[in-house]
Amino acid sequence: MTTEPSAGLSETGALLRLQAWFSPAFPVGGFSYSHGLEAALEAGWIGDLDGLVDWLASDLAEGTLRSEAILFLRAHRETGAGDRAALAETAGLAAALRGSAELALESSQQGSAFLATLRAVWPAPALDALVALLAARGLPASLAVAAGAACAAHGIAAEQGLACFLQGTLANLVSAALRLGLLGQTDGQRALARLEPAVAEAVAAALAADPEDLGSAGLLVEIATLVHETQYSRLFRS
Amino acid sequence: MSAATSRSDLPGPEQGATGDADLQRAAGAARVVLRRGPAGPALAVLEQKSPCRALLPRVEGRSAAEVVFVNTAGGVAGGDRLAWGFEASGAITARATSQAAEKLYRALDRPALIETRLSASDGALLEWLPQETIAFDGARLARATTLELSGGARATALEWLLLGRAGHGETLCRGALRDVWRVRRDGRLLWADNLRLEGPVAALAARRALLGGAGAVATLIHVAESGLEPLVEALRERLYGFAGVTAGVGALPGLLLCRLLAREAAALRAAVVEALAVLRGLVPGAGPGLPRVWSS
Repeated sequence: MTTEPSAGLSETGALLRLQAWFSPAFPVGGFSYSHGLEAALEAGWIGDLDGLVDWLASDLAEGTLRSEAILFLRAHRETGAGDRAALAETAGLAAALRGSAELALESSQQGSAFLATLRAVWPAPALDALVALLAARGLPASLAVAAGAACAAHGIAAEQGLACFLQGTLANLVSAALRLGLLGQTDGQRALARLEPAVAEAVAAALAADPEDLGSAGLLVEIATLVHETQYSRLFRS
Repeated sequence: MSAATSRSDLPGPEQGATGDADLQRAAGAARVVLRRGPAGPALAVLEQKSPCRALLPRVEGRSAAEVVFVNTAGGVAGGDRLAWGFEASGAITARATSQAAEKLYRALDRPALIETRLSASDGALLEWLPQETIAFDGARLARATTLELSGGARATALEWLLLGRAGHGETLCRGALRDVWRVRRDGRLLWADNLRLEGPVAALAARRALLGGAGAVATLIHVAESGLEPLVEALRERLYGFAGVTAGVGALPGLLLCRLLAREAAALRAAVVEALAVLRGLVPGAGPGLPRVWSS
């Protein structure tokens, strides 16, 4: 049995869905990806809790996650407006805006799994339209675009949706750092607590940004995922 | 293009003060089209509008030609608009470089717009190998490089950016830099890249996940439909562990990407020269040596 598309979703209803979709338990395979953390630890670019918090906060404010946030918002707005031409452009840009094969895989594999699960459990016509649009153009589903479109399709506000999307991304990366032995459980939660203001700032900055001003200074994150391709021993796919 | 509309938190001019729009600003363009002629590379189109110039191509052997683009203004400032165009078609190697490093001076309130349109078709190998761009304190840049390929053409393209000139005591503290790439094959977007350094550039560059303390950045791509893996392996072998440089090399669908970060401009230059030597050795038809003007 599936739920109905959610016209008039209550605030609590929206919260429950966001909690499910961006939880580490949501079956998108997020546990396989470290977004460069595995290589950054190996290279000694991150050495402790402070280093991890600084790395993730930088990536969120000025790096690769800044672009992901803007892609999320573009997809949210274009889905809400039913602007298929603009959504196709955003999806094409999201697919091409990748600093390594691993980052491309991380986004596309999770993006397609996210859409598949949503369509099975929380279907909405706008999600069918997105999948059809991607197939027609031979484009992969990028996670940020899929997530932004899903929130709009279910009437969930961009601000709450983006905050939960970014928080879920960080929770997954902190969990990767735990499994890499950088932190213990409590320090993992400390990292997330310390990143709360960075998430709130990133959401506000993305909402205020010109949607055309996609961009990142996160070159070391990208280089980490390039170097990771030849790392000797790997737990993660990025 | 998108980069031109970007926002900035740099202070604008005071009310009633002079802005970049009030000053005499450059609006130049130069475009060169090379085609395969009966005797090798032939000049099909040469368009120039001051301060942009293109020196007539120097033919190297039977199939290669090198064009040198010149900004006779000697640098760019806020509000300047420069457009470079370089197109190649047919079985030729068409290389373009710049006569000197491009200097980005302090802007009042507007970015310098630099638009570079590159196109390669019908089996051509295009090489876009400009000298470095040097951004001084307060510089604003919106640069958009588009590379269109069709008909089995290939391309090698480079951009490298120095944040100030530490060796001359000229540091860049603040700025607004956008360097945007779009690469298309047969009209399809293969790769997009938006480097964005906004506001406290020196502080951003120092952060670990961003430039990790580097003051010099290079992006080198080679676009080809096949044969990328040996190039990736050779570049990794020569560049991983290169003195003073952090390198990342990998293949994406239809192109090879090489990123280089260095604290010192000299180390970056050495790594760029090394990377080009690797490509020269392995890319069939690659132009000979480094561009001649690089050494001067």
